[in-house]
Amino acid sequence: MFHWLEKNPFFFAVAVFVVIAFAGLVEILPNFAQASRPILGAKPYSTLELTGRLVYIKNNCNGCHSQLIRPFKSETDRYGHYSMSGEYAYDRPFLWGSKRTGPDLMRVGNYRTTDWHETHMKDPVAVVPGSIMPAYTWLFKNIADVDTAYAEQLTVQKFFAVPYNTELPMADGSKVTVALADTLEGARASALEEAKVVAADMKDQAVKDAVAAGQVPEIVALIAYLNRLK
Amino acid sequence: MDIATLQAYGFFFFTAFMVVILYSYIYHLYSSQKDGSRDYEKYSNIALHDEITDQPVEEILKDDEKK
Amino acid sequence: MENRPLEYDYTVAKLFMYNAIFVGVAGMLAGVVLAWQMAFPQFNYILGVNFAEYTNFGRLRAIHTDSVIYGFVLSAVWSTWYYVGQRVLKVSMAESKFLMFAGKAHFWIYMAASVIIVIGLQLGITSSKEYSEFEWPIDAGIVVVWVLWGISIFGLIGIRREKSLYISIWYYIATFLAVAMLHIFNNAEIPTWIAAPGVGNWYHSVSMYAGTNDALVQWWFGHNAVAFLLTTPIIAMSYYFLPKESGQAVYSYKLSLLAFWGLMFVYLWAGGHHLLFSTVPDWMQTMGSVFSVVLILPSWGSAVNMLLTMKGEWQQVAASPLIKFMVMASTFYMFSTLEGPIQAIKSVNALAHFTDWIIGHVHDGALGWVGFMVIAALSHMAPRMFKREIYSKSLLGTQFWIQTLGVILYFTSMWIAGITQGMMWRAHDEFGNLAYSFIDTVVVLHPYFTIRAVGGTLYLIGMVMFAYNMYKTMTSSRVVEESELQNATPMGA
Repeated sequence: MFHWLEKNPFFFAVAVFVVIAFAGLVEILPNFAQASRPILGAKPYSTLELTGRLVYIKNNCNGCHSQLIRPFKSETDRYGHYSMSGEYAYDRPFLWGSKRTGPDLMRVGNYRTTDWHETHMKDPVAVVPGSIMPAYTWLFKNIADVDTAYAEQLTVQKFFAVPYNTELPMADGSKVTVALADTLEGARASALEEAKVVAADMKDQAVKDAVAAGQVPEIVALIAYLNRLK
Repeated sequence: MDIATLQAYGFFFFTAFMVVILYSYIYHLYSSQKDGSRDYEKYSNIALHDEITDQPVEEILKDDEKK
Repeated sequence: MENRPLEYDYTVAKLFMYNAIFVGVAGMLAGVVLAWQMAFPQFNYILGVNFAEYTNFGRLRAIHTDSVIYGFVLSAVWSTWYYVGQRVLKVSMAESKFLMFAGKAHFWIYMAASVIIVIGLQLGITSSKEYSEFEWPIDAGIVVVWVLWGISIFGLIGIRREKSLYISIWYYIATFLAVAMLHIFNNAEIPTWIAAPGVGNWYHSVSMYAGTNDALVQWWFGHNAVAFLLTTPIIAMSYYFLPKESGQAVYSYKLSLLAFWGLMFVYLWAGGHHLLFSTVPDWMQTMGSVFSVVLILPSWGSAVNMLLTMKGEWQQVAASPLIKFMVMASTFYMFSTLEGPIQAIKSVNALAHFTDWIIGHVHDGALGWVGFMVIAALSHMAPRMFKREIYSKSLLGTQFWIQTLGVILYFTSMWIAGITQGMMWRAHDEFGNLAYSFIDTVVVLHPYFTIRAVGGTLYLIGMVMFAYNMYKTMTSSRVVEESELQNATPMGA
């Protein structure tokens, strides 16, 4: 039946490809359009939040922290409401992670503050005795890459019609608009405005000085992102 | 019939079909080896006699040689 | 020149072998550092606090996974391809200047890409997708490398003397096709410079898929990268090297046919088991779970075929460290492909997911099956490429026991760690409140993390012994005659 295949490399390769491609077609395609629809209350990332998300990715936070709450009592007790597909509609890439060396961060903004994050990032053991997380001291010195985040915003707006500058209905009936600047200068300025709000709650003098001087340290962007995870 | 029922039937018959394919393939392999119409096991020697000077198990005949 | 008889040409195979050994040691060293970091966080500052940005767990993790998968294993796979490919097709690379050029280009472009990847990951340039962390310029480079390998595969097949393709060749072809497909779809991304030229980093890109879809595509990739980089090419090796080394024909060629097509059909479905209880649709999760269990059959088909090939020749296991490595590899393959499906059962997965049990599973496969098979393959090839015997048989034998002990310490400690933590996460007190805070479940793992680090260190020590043994084999071991290279590999004391 298949005997001739092993002697005909071309048809052999075609047969292998058909057999392996089959599963992807059946499993992945049917749900594609539906799964990317945002849920009520989902909103795109602001420039500073997206900058912070890039810092999160750069330091591979997703290597140890998940962002996926499974529908078990033990998980909803610990982390909050279980995850829903539409909540991730603006996540490119997804950051579910595959290992919980540290706790889930899907809704960390609900129960941690700017102040807590600042102390924790400088010296994790100071707030969580026994923690095996390293201190992320360089986040306080490095300047975040706002420009790339802005480029990413323009990209998702253009190619995936992410609704920036659009009134979005929230679950409580209010309306929210996430602004996207027209120019790079505008984007930098709006990121700095957001950064000032975060820095106001921080204690590190060097970070406060940097923000006052018009710069956004990585830690400020990262905290803006973490506070937004709700 | 709603779509879920159709899917269920589709899934059942597809599985049954695959099972038939699998078993008929196994039957084919072993019966054709047994009645001698095909010797699969000789191909194992491709690995054992693999010096470049060894005679291939089944040699490719060049077109001009065939003529 | 004209009078010299035609010989197999191992130039490219040698290049890949050097790299496999070097990156094998380096990548496992990174892994050992990571293991110690989890037991003792001070190791995050191993080069001082100022360098912690580059030596912390997050940065090193991707370097470890990518270097052992794409550096160590893939180099070894290609080394065996440029060796086995010629032999079972009965055609020499020396017969085609073009294929020789393509083979060398394959190696050097791959090396260039590898260096850029390591530097990039060290600087934190990553797309965050596991085992696919590279930004678009590297993704494009990977396509070039892959196409060059494809040219080599189909080029050699095109000028072959043996009409029928041997079992190993099927698996190499499958590896080539599947990884090509997975790589292209998982890395579908839009460079940001298209929409915003000159703004931010030129190499940055945005995934074509969002959220749940991105996860689905990523784990379809992630699972099958394991399948087609760490399984099928390793099966290709085992179907060649075990019969050749032992002088025994494969137990059943027919079984290998069944196992091959079975594996091809079933493997791709199983990716969904990485996403159980997530937001992907229920039927996909169930499908992933069911097919993972079905996967035991074709996997065991190959493993049983390997073990039965040794039928009546078991004295060789005692006599040869190489056969030891290969038989142990096949055993770990059976073990690992039984453990995987168990973890894919929904109720087990609820406990095991996100814990160290998964890490244990990956490593009994990677260290026990892939690592051992690669070590055996390289040891079999080296004397034939360099026309010298293996420098020391006793060193190879000692390495086997040290590494076996290392693997056992590794997976047993990770089992206990994973199940302990999974149980503690879900434990409730009599009033229905959570019994443990998260940090309680971390502190309790310390002894297991330490045992794991010791196990990993043992495996690394074995790897260093192997590198030394191979170096001596290549440079200063006894020169052997062609007649000594028939089956069992010649070894010095």
